[in-house]
Amino acid sequence: MSVKYTPVQWNKNKWGYDAVLIALVVLYITVFIEVGTPAADLARPLDNAILRMRAFGTCALWMLTFILCIGPLARLDKRFLPVLYNRRHFGVLTAVVAFTHAMYVFNWYFSFTAQTTLAAMLASTNGFGQILGFPIEILGLVSLILLGILAATSHDFWLTFLSAPVWKSLHLLIYPAYALVVAHVSLGYFQDSANPVFGVLFVGSALGVAVLHLLALLKERKVNDAATEWVEACKPGDIQDKRAAIVTLSKDERVAIFRTGSSFSAVSNACAHQGGPLGEGKIVYGCVTCPWHGFSYKARNGRSPAPFTEMIPTYNMKLEDGTLYIDRKANQPGTDVEPIIYEVENDG
Amino acid sequence: MAKPQEPFFVGWGKVPKALRVFLASCAALLVVAFGALAYATSATQTDTGSGAIMGRTEVIGILQEKPYPVLHVIQSRHFEPGDSILLSGNGKSGAIDQAAGLDGKVVQANGFRLDRGDLHGMQLRNGQRGLKLAADQNQTLDIPVKSLGRWRLQGEVCDGKCLVGAMRPGNGLAHRACANLCLLGDVAPVFVSAGQVDGSAFFLMSNPEGEPVTQEVLKYTAVLVEVEGEVERRGGVLVFKVDPETFRVAP
Repeated sequence: MSVKYTPVQWNKNKWGYDAVLIALVVLYITVFIEVGTPAADLARPLDNAILRMRAFGTCALWMLTFILCIGPLARLDKRFLPVLYNRRHFGVLTAVVAFTHAMYVFNWYFSFTAQTTLAAMLASTNGFGQILGFPIEILGLVSLILLGILAATSHDFWLTFLSAPVWKSLHLLIYPAYALVVAHVSLGYFQDSANPVFGVLFVGSALGVAVLHLLALLKERKVNDAATEWVEACKPGDIQDKRAAIVTLSKDERVAIFRTGSSFSAVSNACAHQGGPLGEGKIVYGCVTCPWHGFSYKARNGRSPAPFTEMIPTYNMKLEDGTLYIDRKANQPGTDVEPIIYEVENDG
Repeated sequence: MAKPQEPFFVGWGKVPKALRVFLASCAALLVVAFGALAYATSATQTDTGSGAIMGRTEVIGILQEKPYPVLHVIQSRHFEPGDSILLSGNGKSGAIDQAAGLDGKVVQANGFRLDRGDLHGMQLRNGQRGLKLAADQNQTLDIPVKSLGRWRLQGEVCDGKCLVGAMRPGNGLAHRACANLCLLGDVAPVFVSAGQVDGSAFFLMSNPEGEPVTQEVLKYTAVLVEVEGEVERRGGVLVFKVDPETFRVAP
């Protein structure tokens, strides 16, 4: 979090994360070109441009696949949350790798004519009415444009400018982008590959993405949709100190009840930054701290500590017969609510 | 007794000790996975065939202009007399303009040799440096023409430059747009059949009248198709006079 915009708010963890990412790309391209291809059963070497477009294209495919696995993995196992922390950089690097692939395609397949690259692309593009032979370049190009939009808006300036809900919706474009990439590969390289290894990896990875999303969805399906004003939440002793319990009020609304010693407060589960799951966070230095990017809020009023200005809604609570209840109606972001005080017995 | 607290990671803070091993393991696993994926993906690439650019060459031969320019070799250091060579120009262009008016004449061709087994090609130099009338017009060559009947063949429509060796690979769906650009540039379409006719699986394509068939085949490039037509041997090349109305995507 920051009170002013900087291109990248670097810290040690981001340096480490990016170093691993760059190492992965360098490793992939090097192994593809220098180790794997010479071992392939080829009568003559491939054109250098085609070899590189394959190396960068498949690298972007696997990167995009891994990116899409991070979200559900973090929902299923909180230990993956640090991998999600810098996912934006993963996305931006993927867009760069995909762009490099596209440049090799444009400068090889659409060059050596009197026409411009764009004119050559339009002239050679046909087959929209057929499955096999569908112009896969268009699928790849639209996907690249989407990835470019996502990369260009992967900054807190755009998050604030567009608002978190709009920004989140915009970044769901990663799914159509992935679908287009799957179609691009399915109708192109996948068809040309006589060896089944790539097909097995490709289909397996796409199924893996789908299964992980399904598992994460099933985990979050439990919804408290009773029409009462007060919703039964949990026993105070169910919540670990400096941690939270998450209560689902509706499909789109979750509340995080945080405990600090004997003090209990309820805030929206969605971080004002990117909608991160605050209830999976922790009280750090007296503040609710988001597990995604470390944005912080005071539990009793949902306000970030000065000089930061982010705010989230709070909720009224009551304690009856040893059980915490939440008022369905959220308070305005930043509304101060007196915490519930309850001494938990036999607490460690 | 409360459960022990799970380690909590904050991006701007120190990574909890309990998470360090897990994250280091994830990073190591990713490195192994990317290395393995790169190797598995690259080492299993499909062979592109023997087609390649084989260096400069010069040929004296008899030019056949239709359906697309073919040179029947009389003498050359690199080709055998009687070989038939598909001619193309620089880049994604054919040799129709260069060959105009030279049908049946003895010509001298200069350029790069393309070779893919029994399929021969040549990328001509520009203008008269690439193709011109030979000084000696009295040289002769017997170019046998023989009808091989009507055939229904299954295979792929390719461009007769990339396929022969100008690109590796020069066929397949990923290469489709490039093939279309070559065909639009008047490069000869070549049918690569799943089976052979008279010992060859490569066919220079034309329409039933023996004229160019470019526009009719564009929709079917790089896709496995079936098509019918008369097959004719002209010297060292088979000409497949396809009936465009019989094209259909193979089941």
